[in-house]
Amino acid sequence: MSCVLAYCGFQQDDSASLPATGVNGAQVEVLALDALLLLWSHVEWPFAPAAIQKNAVEFHGVVQHIFRQRAVIPFRLLSVFDNQEALETFTHDNQERFLADLVRLKAFVQMECVVYPAPALRAQPDEVSGKDYLEQKAGLVRSIAQAVNAVRDSVGHLSHDVRVREARSGSRVFVLVERGREHDFREALKQVAVPEQLARRISGPWPATEFLSEWVKAPQIAGAQ
Amino acid sequence: MGPGRLTRLSQMPNNFESVELGVAAEDEVSLLEIVDHVLNAGVVIHGSLVISLAGVDLVYLGLNVVLTSVETALRKIQTSEEKQGLK
Repeated sequence: MSCVLAYCGFQQDDSASLPATGVNGAQVEVLALDALLLLWSHVEWPFAPAAIQKNAVEFHGVVQHIFRQRAVIPFRLLSVFDNQEALETFTHDNQERFLADLVRLKAFVQMECVVYPAPALRAQPDEVSGKDYLEQKAGLVRSIAQAVNAVRDSVGHLSHDVRVREARSGSRVFVLVERGREHDFREALKQVAVPEQLARRISGPWPATEFLSEWVKAPQIAGAQ
Repeated sequence: MGPGRLTRLSQMPNNFESVELGVAAEDEVSLLEIVDHVLNAGVVIHGSLVISLAGVDLVYLGLNVVLTSVETALRKIQTSEEKQGLK
């Protein structure tokens, strides 16, 4: 079955270079509605499970192609529109909100820092008593919270907004940084020591998805439950 | 307009590798991070279905949990669709 896979939306600009091919080598089409452009492809749906990694990288490649040039609002890989008309209706209904977010986030990228227990030091529940395990766990939680605060403080002069999300394995810190200051972000974090029992991973730049307005993240679609 | 759909990932292979995406070493991101972002970051065009994946941090839980999470999400989706008479 053929469906419409949307990659991302961005502000129209005549100088923008567009990717030639998308997921599974599909031609990348452009839907233009006033100042908003959406990239999409016809794809065979569902994807072959064995090809999902390849599809993810191809999808990411299309989004990155635009993101290297300007702010984008990416869609998620595993959701598709029934047909081109559905995509056009969606775009028409959400155009203003998409453009408002694109304008607001135009100059920014998202940098991420994940703080989590060092794998080698993770306590195994069957190797320690219940009380010791809980104490270790509480200590780790405190350490992670302190490390997150240290991250926030160290990049405070670069961040225009910060979000922290708790994960089962640690905390993820999302920082909105001006495009072009990614290196400064990494350098600032290098100055922050990582406690022995913790590990840290920095990534980015990513599209500023964590800072999208709630409506744009999960738009209401007529007819959907 | 119909809802978005999800595909099954149960046979997703587990040979995640690093992928070079840019010219600088610091631009090298893991395939797992890419998968996490393309699945979990951005616009959800069918909130009630795909959003059940959104609360799961796929990258840092390991592949087995990734698969479990997706399978769990798919089961919930199936149940939800049946309750809503979408199927």
